[in-house]
Amino acid sequence: MGDSDRDSGGGQNGNNQNGQSPLSPREQDRFLPIANVSRIMKKALPANAKISKDAKETMQECVSEFISFVTGEASDKCQKEKRKTINGDDLLWAMTTLGFEDYVEPLKVYLQRFREIEGERTGLGRPQTSGEAGEHHRDAGVSDGGGYYGGGGMQYHQHHQFLHQQNHMYGATGGGGGNGGGGAASGRTRT
Amino acid sequence: MAEEENIRPEFPLGRVKKIMKLDKDINKLNSEALFLVTYSTELFLRFLAEKSALVTMEKKRRSVNLDHLRTAVKRHQPTSDFLLDSLPIPAQTVKPAKTAPEKPPPIGTRRIDQFFNKGKSQID
Repeated sequence: MGDSDRDSGGGQNGNNQNGQSPLSPREQDRFLPIANVSRIMKKALPANAKISKDAKETMQECVSEFISFVTGEASDKCQKEKRKTINGDDLLWAMTTLGFEDYVEPLKVYLQRFREIEGERTGLGRPQTSGEAGEHHRDAGVSDGGGYYGGGGMQYHQHHQFLHQQNHMYGATGGGGGNGGGGAASGRTRT
Repeated sequence: MAEEENIRPEFPLGRVKKIMKLDKDINKLNSEALFLVTYSTELFLRFLAEKSALVTMEKKRRSVNLDHLRTAVKRHQPTSDFLLDSLPIPAQTVKPAKTAPEKPPPIGTRRIDQFFNKGKSQID
């Protein structure tokens, strides 16, 4: 709710620019909204803690650096493998490579829920317990190196070998929700 | 519905995407990639805030400042590797104490300084 409000607010700023914002729209686009940054920080800090303005603004820059950093790494991997679309697996791989392997487990949990919700909402006909169709998808995904991460819970053992060979960085990756065709969601964003 | 709210990222996805695309090499990314970047960014920010607050506490201060953030970054190698150089150079910790320990000059010198200053101010 708040996010989308803020989003549209940002858009308006861009449109009627009467010198209200000290930053040019382009400059603004380089950072996440300070309000969101503040909110997350407040949650993470002890109740009575305060944060100086310059520290807050620097944190804002830090998160942009982080985004570029992990995206760059994932993108390099794609280019090496001659793929055009960065997918979830690339990101998880990048996290591990760059030393943020602690994030992988919580991210997997969230990714799982994201897939469930996206599947329900878009009704792309990706059944939760993907049968043969899902499997074909997954194989196709493997051949171009994309989007088989997570596997289906049902086919876990079958695919264990595959996952183990190719995805050994994460160890065995079970617990997927039958989202064989990660590629099916390509280019679609929630915005 | 409630569940959906639960996983809704704090950051606006559109903005995250824009930041990702600042890099000209980034072509396409799917929705999962965007979601993961957004969520990991939240994790990272929380991590930075917590670690900085820890430094603040250690220094028995109330307010998290840039110095604390810098120390927190230094303590985590993977973060330090990509972030330390981007942090603003601390203004105060450049050890002004060493370069500017402006002791009052000895009595004799002061008199000479005054002499020169006098000349200057006359020119002015």
